[in-house]
Amino acid sequence: MERQRSILVVLVLAGLGFLAVALRLVHLQVIERGDLTRRAERQQEQVLRLEPKRGTIYDRRGRELAVSLDTESVYGVPSEVDDPRSLATRLARVLSQNPAELQRKLASERQFVWISRKADPESAEKAREMNPDAIGLKFEARRFYPKKTLAGTLLGFTNVDNKGIEGVELLFDRELRGEEGWIVAEKDAKGRTVFPGGHGLQYRLPQPGKDLYLTIDEVIQHIAEKELDRGIAEHRARGGVCIVMDPRTGEILALSARSTVRGGQVFNPNSPQRHRPEEWRNRAVTDSFEPGSIFKAITAAAALEERVAHPQERFDCSAGNIRVADRVIKDSHRNGVLTFTDVISQSSNVGTIKIAQRLGKARLAKYIDAFGFGKKTGVDLPGEIAGMVKDHRLWSGVSLASISIGQEIGVTPIQMAAAYSVIANGGELRRPTIVSEIRGPNLSQENRSPEVPAGRVISPETSATLRKILQKVVDSGTGQKAKPAGYTAAGKTGTAQKIDQRTGTYSRDDYVTSFAGFVPAAAPKLVIVVMVDSPVGEAWGSSVAAPVFRAVAEQSLTYLQVPPDDVGGRMLLVAR
Amino acid sequence: MNTRTGHIGAFPLEAMKNNSVRRIVLAGIAVIALMTYVGGKVQIMRLGYQINDLEKKKQELERSNRALQIEASSLSTPARIEEIAVKRLGMVRPPKENIVVVKRRSAATGTAPADRVQRPDDRVPNSR
Repeated sequence: MERQRSILVVLVLAGLGFLAVALRLVHLQVIERGDLTRRAERQQEQVLRLEPKRGTIYDRRGRELAVSLDTESVYGVPSEVDDPRSLATRLARVLSQNPAELQRKLASERQFVWISRKADPESAEKAREMNPDAIGLKFEARRFYPKKTLAGTLLGFTNVDNKGIEGVELLFDRELRGEEGWIVAEKDAKGRTVFPGGHGLQYRLPQPGKDLYLTIDEVIQHIAEKELDRGIAEHRARGGVCIVMDPRTGEILALSARSTVRGGQVFNPNSPQRHRPEEWRNRAVTDSFEPGSIFKAITAAAALEERVAHPQERFDCSAGNIRVADRVIKDSHRNGVLTFTDVISQSSNVGTIKIAQRLGKARLAKYIDAFGFGKKTGVDLPGEIAGMVKDHRLWSGVSLASISIGQEIGVTPIQMAAAYSVIANGGELRRPTIVSEIRGPNLSQENRSPEVPAGRVISPETSATLRKILQKVVDSGTGQKAKPAGYTAAGKTGTAQKIDQRTGTYSRDDYVTSFAGFVPAAAPKLVIVVMVDSPVGEAWGSSVAAPVFRAVAEQSLTYLQVPPDDVGGRMLLVAR
Repeated sequence: MNTRTGHIGAFPLEAMKNNSVRRIVLAGIAVIALMTYVGGKVQIMRLGYQINDLEKKKQELERSNRALQIEASSLSTPARIEEIAVKRLGMVRPPKENIVVVKRRSAATGTAPADRVQRPDDRVPNSR
């Protein structure tokens, strides 16, 4: 009896044990099934990102300016490393990296660590050979700028993940980048990637980025950069900008922006980490300056369009100065009685102010707005500013006079190029463009230029009259050093005093010198704006910026095979 | 009445002989089939490896071709071309007096047109 009871107890206990196991199984297999399945998948599966190929950037003739190239990136699998310290020391030597940092990565608990992204192929292979189980190579696209510093500030650059950080690379990042792909892979017990065969493979292929065709011409860009650099070096200036634009379409053919502040170097997008932000900043759109006398062309355009003065009308500038409110504004040298044309060609402040006084605040302000000042041009570059234009209702007693000669107003070089294009093309404001076409991988095409004109600013007659006046500036006025050999040219010199940051007043020895104009004068093909910041010594637009204009115009027109239109002097005209 | 003659005892022995031959033949066929199958598989694997190697080589060549294209592109920068032209080849810009401007006579009037005539498309070239 006693024995039977013991057997019964053992059986009951065993039964309860089995019941507990069965219940636990039901709990795991039924109740917690979903959660546990997900956990298992998380542990066994990994989603690998497939990087798309970034689009290429070409110049207007299809020459490569930015390309993507497959390069090796070195990664490590820490679980496979027996001696992190020794491996880190050897890797550091080959890959020129910090050994302590590498040791920390290789000793970590992670399954995957980057050792060196986008290394050179030889070093990467040497690193892999050190321990093929623990060190692997992965191909990644690296951005490369084959023309080195050419158009560097305009192109911008990308970071290590191929994301646009500056310039065209930033503004068109979405188009250039493409769409990332992915593939679901399984991990084995050691964390190595295993791709399931057959139909089990889940993936989406990456979509390559689109290609950009710029309006920039590589050769004209080189000419603009070379001549601007020469001008900056010759006059020991702090920087400068040179823009070459087609006035009929608004297409920018060259845009060079330099900064030599604190020993700055020419920006090379292949190694952005070696440069300071001011070296890659595109001053043509991000900085405004007081334009000085080159703005007189705008005042003249407004006066001619409003018919408040005639080109041959005379203005008495013999006093050499004019009192406006509490301020006396002087001419750089004493002139006599000047015609309207001579007021501009001799760059008389007194004459220009007298013309502006006939216009009045509201009408001058209307033309400042119509020429596109005080608002962004919409050029395809990031960081553009609107400049500084005060509402004419807030102008002081001296503002009309100051603004008419290019003071008390902040403009960007790109705005000035667009405004001179209006004078050159017969009176229409066009949006400056950098990108002409975006091409998809399936040859889909998106044309971006020529643009519809933003609006008519002045009549073709006013434009033609003003072109003749500005041609006189180059032929016999202040801009004679801007005259290219064999071609007619029109434009205006500018020398603007900078504000002294310490005193808050105009500096006596710090200037922005500029020249804005177009060539050939009668049928303009190119608008060229040159701005040189803080030249040392003889700081006049006529002696600093005008020679740069001349050199850029001469070489660019020859390159574009524009026949000379000024065949005087010793040149020979042959008819056949 | 017909009667059968012969050695009755020889029948099982002959049958056994025939069976062995058949088995050997069958085994031979099986071995040959197996060897053909395995050989085929080995051949497929070998070709697979070869394809893999060639794919890798193709990728490497494509990469190196791309790298060479980019190198060619870097070597054709206008700055470098100008430097070679001026410094190594001693080229100079033609002086003004050496430039001859040629204008085509207009067919209708017999006079030279005022503007350029060389390029039918008047815009800045944008050819690719």
